[in-house]
Amino acid sequence: MQPVAGSRAFELASDDLRARAADLVLTLPALRTGAPVGESQRFQIEGALALYHYVNPKLLLFTVLVRRGLHGERTASGQPGATDLAARVPFGAPRSMAAMEMVDENPSDKRLRRLFSDIKKTLQLSSINSDYRTLALWPDYLEPAWGALKPVVQTEAYREAAVALGDHARAAADRFPTPQGFDLRRLGARGEQTQALSDVTDRFERLLPPLILNIGLFGRDWWPDGRLRSSPFPLTETTRMEERP
Amino acid sequence: MTWRDFQRLQRVAEVRDTFISYLEDGSGTPVVLLHGIPTWSYLWTPVLGRLTRVARVLAPDLPGFGFSDKRDRFDRSIARQAELIDAWMDRIGLESAVIVAHDIGGGVALRLATLFPSRVRKLCLINTVSYDSWPIELMLQFGHPGADRQLSAAMAVRLLKQALKGGFAKRPPSDLLDGLLAPYSTEVGKLSLIRNASALNTNLTTEIAPLLSSISVPTMILWGEDDLFQPIAYGERLAWDIPAAQFVRIGGARHFAMVDRPRAVADRLRTFVTGG
Repeated sequence: MQPVAGSRAFELASDDLRARAADLVLTLPALRTGAPVGESQRFQIEGALALYHYVNPKLLLFTVLVRRGLHGERTASGQPGATDLAARVPFGAPRSMAAMEMVDENPSDKRLRRLFSDIKKTLQLSSINSDYRTLALWPDYLEPAWGALKPVVQTEAYREAAVALGDHARAAADRFPTPQGFDLRRLGARGEQTQALSDVTDRFERLLPPLILNIGLFGRDWWPDGRLRSSPFPLTETTRMEERP
Repeated sequence: MTWRDFQRLQRVAEVRDTFISYLEDGSGTPVVLLHGIPTWSYLWTPVLGRLTRVARVLAPDLPGFGFSDKRDRFDRSIARQAELIDAWMDRIGLESAVIVAHDIGGGVALRLATLFPSRVRKLCLINTVSYDSWPIELMLQFGHPGADRQLSAAMAVRLLKQALKGGFAKRPPSDLLDGLLAPYSTEVGKLSLIRNASALNTNLTTEIAPLLSSISVPTMILWGEDDLFQPIAYGERLAWDIPAAQFVRIGGARHFAMVDRPRAVADRLRTFVTGG
């Protein structure tokens, strides 16, 4: 995956996917979460949202490509992706990206346990995502934010938006060659748990579109529409990182 | 005040490539409170109420600590911390202040007083590191890069909680102790604290020892006299080397004198801040 995921084309395709997700978010009701948090907390929550707003579209595109690699699928169109992968992006996280800090999946705090249980039940998750575990660092924020999000995720419009985003991701993946060398047949011969690999990849591909929308809906409370559509860490910034000694 | 209530009151300033969360309360003479390791600005809550009645109190979390930047990409040495506090003061428009410091915050304060003297109106050191008094054994072990692999965040917090008890003359309120370690209860928080411990370096106080005689601002050395982490002899030596220093022993107190004897410490601080 490295030749694909480290390419400038992959970064730009992820940026495009994020913009499409933002367009879908803007068709849904705004959450307008009012949370009793302080100045430093607001700064850090915004940093956490920017982190996931940046990472999740990349993860979705990555997952689609991994799934195709596992199953030895070619692109949806049946034609090999023709994107030039020569131009690279710098290695590592963007300089100004927040740390991916999160609370334990089984927190001792009763309020968080209740909240996680409700999130898992509503979203039919077997485990709680990193995104919510990070936002749980500020329970005074996550609680009302989830309270505002919960009715939205149960609407038909939301479900349609999630499906549309998944389709966008698969179309974006068509531009890339299917990664080689780790198809299930080959991994099975090496004794890997192929069914588990296949299941987890399918689950990620199913879960990421709604998660991207959810972070977008949270982010919409903080950012103007234009900012929601753009990368929180545009390539110019990551390029600067490369120039550091 | 619970640690979460305290956190909600924190402001934030972006300083160079990092950010500093800080509490600001009260009005009057600016007083900057610098905490040590492994705590954060919440340490000052036992004396905060009495201090904010006479002063504008600013209590930052040093970068890498509390709810300031905990990313794994900057120097956490006291030399860098002093530079960042200097930059933070610039950022928030604070020309100078009374600097009150505890533990390694004292190392930062000593570097400010010797290398950025215009920042320091008065200096108060409470059971601080100095000369070759540090790092203590616990922090040396904790700062080993391998500690990240050997300890989960929950284990690290349990270990620190147990070890810190030796810093109090009497059992500290459990809410306070839990709150002091709360920012380090995540994997990122734990790693940040390990990096902070890795950055502890005796040379950064020994190299400025010859400069202590240049400190000309009023200075108070306040020491919990039964401190097991920073023995009182170091406080006495500081009082000898800093020309305008007065030495005050706080009886019935160990390393965390502001927790053991909050009223005595707060009263001394008030008199020191408001005195001529």
